[in-house]
Amino acid sequence: MSRHEAASAGLPMHVMFDMCSQARCLPIVRAAVNQLAAMVGWDEADSRAITMAVDEALANVIRHAYHGSGDRRIELHCCAGEGELEFRIRDTGDPPDRSLICAREVGCDKIGGLGTHIIRDVMDSVSYEARQEGNWFVAVKRLQRKT
Amino acid sequence: MTVSVRECGAARVVDLEGEVDLGTSPKLRRTLFDLLGKTSRLALNLRALRYIDSSGIATLIEVLHDAQRLGKEFVLFGLSPAVHDAFRLTHVNRVFRIFDTEEQAVTSA
Repeated sequence: MSRHEAASAGLPMHVMFDMCSQARCLPIVRAAVNQLAAMVGWDEADSRAITMAVDEALANVIRHAYHGSGDRRIELHCCAGEGELEFRIRDTGDPPDRSLICAREVGCDKIGGLGTHIIRDVMDSVSYEARQEGNWFVAVKRLQRKT
Repeated sequence: MTVSVRECGAARVVDLEGEVDLGTSPKLRRTLFDLLGKTSRLALNLRALRYIDSSGIATLIEVLHDAQRLGKEFVLFGLSPAVHDAFRLTHVNRVFRIFDTEEQAVTSA
């Protein structure tokens, strides 16, 4: 059994968080996402990057969709499959302002606006959608296997 | 997140431990801005930092701007692998003065 096969034993797996919109929930989610990424087969550095991208997406919901209000709900669905992780985040706050997504220049010393760059850089696909039941953020990361 | 402050010659050294994120970065911001008013060189030890998000990095950039405005030094040293990865992802390595050791951070011109 290869390292990847051993790591991904027990997949697919669906982990769901129904959490309040408070920053104190973030460390719990980060710990779980990091473990899931390692289980699918990413190394420590890649698992950290995936964890950071998900953390940034959740922080954006708290800051921008809910404007820091801590009594709202956030759903996070983590679907771990063979060589792939999908994250779906739902909130019922303000829809994302698309003009601000990755609007910041990288490599400069401007304050703020880094989060969406991290998400785009780390994930293979990212989408934002405003629906009747709320805003959906969907991001997928695929394992690039060495042949 | 734990913040400890030491005096090292003319510099103040801040040892950071744990995780800096949306919940903890306001405390870090307050601490660093307060210390910047009390020293000519502020050196931040990131060796024991397990995580830093974009709000933490934005805080460091804010403090750097204020240090530059006041004619003071704000330097970083001992980046942990997690911090190194976060800086690489956000392309801010060249924004800060970063040293390997505390000695370099507190004595460099």
